[in-house]
Amino acid sequence: MDYRIIKKSKITEYLNNLINEYVIFAPIEKDDIVLYDRIKSGDEVILDYSNSVNSPKEAVIPQLETLISCKNNEDITCVKEHLDEQKRFLLFGARPCDARSLLFLDKVFNDEKCRDVYYMNRRNALTIISLGCTRPQETCFCTTTGGSPFSSEGSDLLFVDIGDDYIIQVITEKGAELVEKLDLENTQNDELTKMDIVINKSKARIEPEMELKILKDKLDSSFEGSAWEILTEKCLSCGICTYHCPTCHCFDMIDEETKGKVERIRLWDSCQFPHFTMQTSGFNPRPTYKERYRQRIMHKFSYCFDNYNMAGCVGCGRCVSQCPVNLDIRQVLTAFYGKHEEIRL
Amino acid sequence: MTDVSNKIREEAGKLLEKGEVDVIIGFEKGSIPLSATPCFIRNEADIEKLIWNEYCGNNLSLYLSKARGKIGIIAKGCDTRAIVELIKEKQVQRERIVIIGVPCEGMLDRKRIMIRCQSRNITGIEDQGRQLLITGDSLNVAVEKDEFFYPACQVCANRNPVMCDVFIGNTIEEQKTDEFTDVTDFNEKPSEERWAYITDEIDRCIRCYACRNACPLCYCKECFVDATQPQWVGKTIEQSDTLSFHIMRSIHLAGRCIECGACERACPVMVDIRKLNRKMSADVKNMFGYKTGLDIDQPAPLSVFKPDDSEEFILDI
Amino acid sequence: MGNKETSWEPKIIAFLCNWCSYAGADLAGVGRMQYPANVRVIRVPCSGRISPFFILSSLQNGADGVLVSGCHPGDCHYLTGNYSARRKFALLKSQLEHIGIEKERVQFTWVSASEGGKFAEVINRVTETVKALGPAKRLVKKCL
Repeated sequence: MDYRIIKKSKITEYLNNLINEYVIFAPIEKDDIVLYDRIKSGDEVILDYSNSVNSPKEAVIPQLETLISCKNNEDITCVKEHLDEQKRFLLFGARPCDARSLLFLDKVFNDEKCRDVYYMNRRNALTIISLGCTRPQETCFCTTTGGSPFSSEGSDLLFVDIGDDYIIQVITEKGAELVEKLDLENTQNDELTKMDIVINKSKARIEPEMELKILKDKLDSSFEGSAWEILTEKCLSCGICTYHCPTCHCFDMIDEETKGKVERIRLWDSCQFPHFTMQTSGFNPRPTYKERYRQRIMHKFSYCFDNYNMAGCVGCGRCVSQCPVNLDIRQVLTAFYGKHEEIRL
Repeated sequence: MTDVSNKIREEAGKLLEKGEVDVIIGFEKGSIPLSATPCFIRNEADIEKLIWNEYCGNNLSLYLSKARGKIGIIAKGCDTRAIVELIKEKQVQRERIVIIGVPCEGMLDRKRIMIRCQSRNITGIEDQGRQLLITGDSLNVAVEKDEFFYPACQVCANRNPVMCDVFIGNTIEEQKTDEFTDVTDFNEKPSEERWAYITDEIDRCIRCYACRNACPLCYCKECFVDATQPQWVGKTIEQSDTLSFHIMRSIHLAGRCIECGACERACPVMVDIRKLNRKMSADVKNMFGYKTGLDIDQPAPLSVFKPDDSEEFILDI
Repeated sequence: MGNKETSWEPKIIAFLCNWCSYAGADLAGVGRMQYPANVRVIRVPCSGRISPFFILSSLQNGADGVLVSGCHPGDCHYLTGNYSARRKFALLKSQLEHIGIEKERVQFTWVSASEGGKFAEVINRVTETVKALGPAKRLVKKCL
């Protein structure tokens, strides 16, 4: 692998150099909370953060996007497809778990049989620079889902914090291209040793909690059963866990008319909402919180293995830290895994 | 706090043992630091799980309409106000619940404390009465509790339960905060400034509806915002749609909102939702002389009228 | 095309109750009274029928002003519809003002079936004030 090194103090300058060529998404602080958002200048970016509130999936599947629109124009109805060529997109400072989530989204939206052009349009223009986690949080469980705090899966470049500098691991062609452009120095051996120490120290802090293949079998065999009812009793059925999840990708399509212009809009939807599965007849196959929460867990840890041979969860811990009733997905999984009997089934 | 926890366990144990209730809704230890989580105790063996501390912010009355059988519920002042409204609106029968009332001096805002701790890993929390000493990953901060109570708790006027069957602990002094000065202060700002503030807040909203779902009084089987025939309000996150949702929610809660702040606590992006609800509470008090959640027999202000209600806002020619 | 600024005319939605205000508007017409053509009337059974949604929806979808008019208190065809409406509207108007929407955009009044003159005058006044405010900008739905 190719390694480069960059001074931390130089980051702002480099980002400012790139800002004309790329639309840059990076973690910024807004009203006290850390969010991924489009930046206008390099000094908005904060890099000493644990993880953002929202996930960077917004860069490829925005919460709201117009697919087509039509308008009456001199007696001709013009239909316009909103597939303009994207400016190059840079996702800077994403966590390795979030970078991995894009690999998962690729499996969903870049399927051979059914390719989502709107997604691909954005995805192809996207370069991802991720920032390894030197301080995994108590809510993190990336190693359980097959990732790691320094996983390079999904990233084009991976930054490793070694004090005053970042070591840059060049992962892909796209990454190499960017590194060439920035004209960065090569690394010395002692710097690489430092990097290994940082990586190993962080990895040691976050041990996998369970074997996902075994978990899948256990989940499959407990689809029916009262456990779900007990475990989800406190659920509010709100959309926080799905909306801020980097891999949740369900959407709804609506047609909206504003001032004579009709737009077909795609917007996020959540399996936690009662209307998500409501059928025209009035029948709802997932009428209560239990069925809806079960769907979320089964989808991520069972169906995704069937369909994509990968868990639909990257262990970022957003649903754990943001759930208003502290319904901890890890506790739910361990309850089925049967590791300890804290939760009585 | 441990005293209160023990007392809660004792009382809850008695209720379960005597078969007076089928389930106790209370709090247990949360899975992350600075948290407590709702729990449902049906078994005497699980009584030890029950705790009481300054993170028991959730309004448990929310679960009353969902739970079956006879229910014992641990309730703070605001929770009991919600229960009063729920009984009034016939969502729960008084005979079906046993209220274990606990006075509350305010609940701590986990999210804001985490921001203060720069979201670092927390390894130790030492409670020093008015201060929390938090240590962790390159972290050593002293947190003044007074600064980190939830905004709703800071202006709470009912720290003691307004109605209960079992009272735990000692009655505490109420804060003198009934004047809605926060609302008047905001109203005195120029309209541009108010609009800028509200839209700035609303623009962060992602419409996850956690505010609605965490609200004990938002119990509708189908919310107006979910309805599609007719579609009352647009489903996009365009400012006008989002703001309309929040305005309508505040109108639906006018004279019903008990100001527990559950909406704001649940919001993942910390939108100041109470700005709208507080205004309605202030209006309902000033215009109709009504304060929610205190009296079961007082009818809801929007279900009645007086012939001489204020006509100040009517265009008179 | 002319100057857009000077040729702008406000759009005002008027929700009129069937029994009093709509009849009042009728009387104004029969009496050949002059009033600005900026108002689009929507007839409803009673002012109590008007949901705050109607008013928000109007503002969202391009109305520069909204007028709600019903029977005078005590004269409601359904006895108490306007009394209940009065409480509801007091709160709505106050909330809209609170969040920073100009209070003159949404107006409430009472017009009886015999007050054709008052109806014309109300429309005059409302049109004037809304015109002075200029086109609505807040809460208006934008194309995405």
